[in-house]
Amino acid sequence: MAQANGAPQPGAAPSQLCVFKLVLLGSGSVGKSSLALRFVKDDFKSILPTVGCAFFTKVVEMGTASLKFEIWDTAGQEKYHSVCHLYFRGANAALLVYDITSKDSFGKAQQWLKDLEKEFSPGEVVVMLVGNKTDLGQEREVTFEDGKEFAESHNLLFMETSAKLNHQVTEAFGAIARELLQREERKENQPPPRGDARLALGQRLAGRANCCAR
Amino acid sequence: MSLKSERRGIHVDQSELLCKKGCGYYGNPAWQGFCSKCWREEYHKARQKQIQEDWELAERLQREEEEAFASSQSSQGAQSLTFSKFEEKKTNEKTRKVTTVKRFFSASSRVGSKKAEIQEAKAPSPSINRQTSIETDRVSKEFIEFLKTFHKTGQEVYKQTKLFLEAMHYKRDLSIEEQSECTQDFYQNVAERMQTRGKVPPEKVEKIMDHIEKYIMTRLYKHVFCPETTDDEKKDLTIQKRIRALHWVTPQMLCVPVNEEIPEVSDMVVKAITDIIEMDSKRVPRDKLACVTRCSKHVFSAIKVTKNEPASADDFLPTLIYIVLKGNPPRLQSNIQYVTRFCNPSRLMTGEDGYYFTNLCCAVAFIEKLDAQSLNLSQEDFDRYMSGQTSPRKQESENWSPDACLGVRQMYKNLDLLSQLNERQERIMSEAKKLEKDLIDWTDGIAKEVQDIVEKCPLEIKPPNQSLAAIDSENVENDKLPPPLQPQVYAG
Repeated sequence: MAQANGAPQPGAAPSQLCVFKLVLLGSGSVGKSSLALRFVKDDFKSILPTVGCAFFTKVVEMGTASLKFEIWDTAGQEKYHSVCHLYFRGANAALLVYDITSKDSFGKAQQWLKDLEKEFSPGEVVVMLVGNKTDLGQEREVTFEDGKEFAESHNLLFMETSAKLNHQVTEAFGAIARELLQREERKENQPPPRGDARLALGQRLAGRANCCAR
Repeated sequence: MSLKSERRGIHVDQSELLCKKGCGYYGNPAWQGFCSKCWREEYHKARQKQIQEDWELAERLQREEEEAFASSQSSQGAQSLTFSKFEEKKTNEKTRKVTTVKRFFSASSRVGSKKAEIQEAKAPSPSINRQTSIETDRVSKEFIEFLKTFHKTGQEVYKQTKLFLEAMHYKRDLSIEEQSECTQDFYQNVAERMQTRGKVPPEKVEKIMDHIEKYIMTRLYKHVFCPETTDDEKKDLTIQKRIRALHWVTPQMLCVPVNEEIPEVSDMVVKAITDIIEMDSKRVPRDKLACVTRCSKHVFSAIKVTKNEPASADDFLPTLIYIVLKGNPPRLQSNIQYVTRFCNPSRLMTGEDGYYFTNLCCAVAFIEKLDAQSLNLSQEDFDRYMSGQTSPRKQESENWSPDACLGVRQMYKNLDLLSQLNERQERIMSEAKKLEKDLIDWTDGIAKEVQDIVEKCPLEIKPPNQSLAAIDSENVENDKLPPPLQPQVYAG
């Protein structure tokens, strides 16, 4: 599948970088862009020379291996929810972001998870639940335990972060990177039959054509 | 999937595919069932015949006219006209006759060419074919030149590409999904082979893949862009109509963070619209993607100038939707379908180009589903706007139609301001008058009050109190006191 996703297949050349697509999901103003910005440029809401903050890439070194993240930000407003499944195609990881000071955004994150489950079979993507804005602890509406419990029951990675104070941001992306690399290794050890991969690609293409057609 | 199996079910008899003339080559419905060679012959023959007929018709008419002229001349001759006048008239008649014939002939030839045009519409005439083939040739030449730099791998790639194109030629009657699948398989196989067998580094593979895509898609474009077997064209028209019906949507309704009154921003918006419209003119999927990316970059700049901070996805998508609504790009669905079907998949699902293209897909999907709620309008308002009964622009005088030029808009705005100023001025005048009156009333009132009080408690000056005067009178004896002590200086 790695090839269909644009990631060069492992083993072709040892020096090359695997590219992983990560989608940022969450309702409006939970700090999706800020998290990505903090991770990519170590910055928080300052005027940047770049014009857009919606598509980012960053190379992450993980000990001996390194990988390239491609981060796709999505529009979080409620009205665009229905079209956002289009962003999921070919994603390797998803970051479900909610605001710990808003119970509503936590509910939305759960809704996003349902959407993801519709598009992907379990285990196909690495999903991480992130409670952002720990700097606003006194206004907290979602407890750490609530988040953790939900994440564990759905087999998600979990962390609480603060993009503003740069707390746990790099760690969160690092955890995803580690998980991705581990899965890649597991896959490498037992390569799927070639025919299967082709079939899967064909199915996905068919799905794609229908999707836009609607 | 079900769609595909249905299409697969259509069976075409082999004999129906062959040239009608029975020369053994395959025919094409676009050439009325002939093969390319026979079609050109037939077409040429038909055209020659048409020209011949036009000539004959013209000659016959000329002859008729001459006869008519001769008969009228003979009757006129009896009226004993002077020779010079007769001569003059004759030359006049002659020139007139020649021009009519000429006129007629040119008209008839136009009719002929119109017929030819109809035929051309049915099947591209050889000359059109030639024109596109010039570009195709150029692309092929470039492709070969490029592959030369890769020596053996280049040769291999060229061979594979040729084989693929030949195979695709016979697959033209398959459904577009199957053709798309073949192309995707081809991309995958070639890339794989280059990496495993040719040991080509991945950056170069990517570059070669780009060239392969350009080469094959320039050739296949004509047959696989908006093919007749699909309802792409219908969808194009549907979305076009939909966008036209939504002409009244304002940036405010979509919460677009772009202020078009800033000249720099409106410039960017125009550039973005131009780019998205230009997408239709490109043949290679990658070039189409590049147009979308350029459009997106302009959108980002427009947002950045307006908001003074880099735009996030929350700002970007609504603005892109607004651009699509404003631009109404031609054959939007066909283009999207074509790119999804025939672009190298890695470029579509990852990478910056893929990101912007996905956003465009989202924008189109949103426009299709758009309802009153997504514009923060009541259902009644939305229905009224959609049916064209009213337009929000008419109600809000501030929103002048977008096609009015900047100067006119500015003028209207200034007029508005002036009338507002006038109103305020009047209000100030009346209030000033009121104030003046109030002041006068107030002084009068005070004067009156003072008067009243004075009247109520009139001022009475009483003679001084006796006992108080006595205190002062006692002081008379002070004069008798000794004088105060004076400071004295003692020597020593």
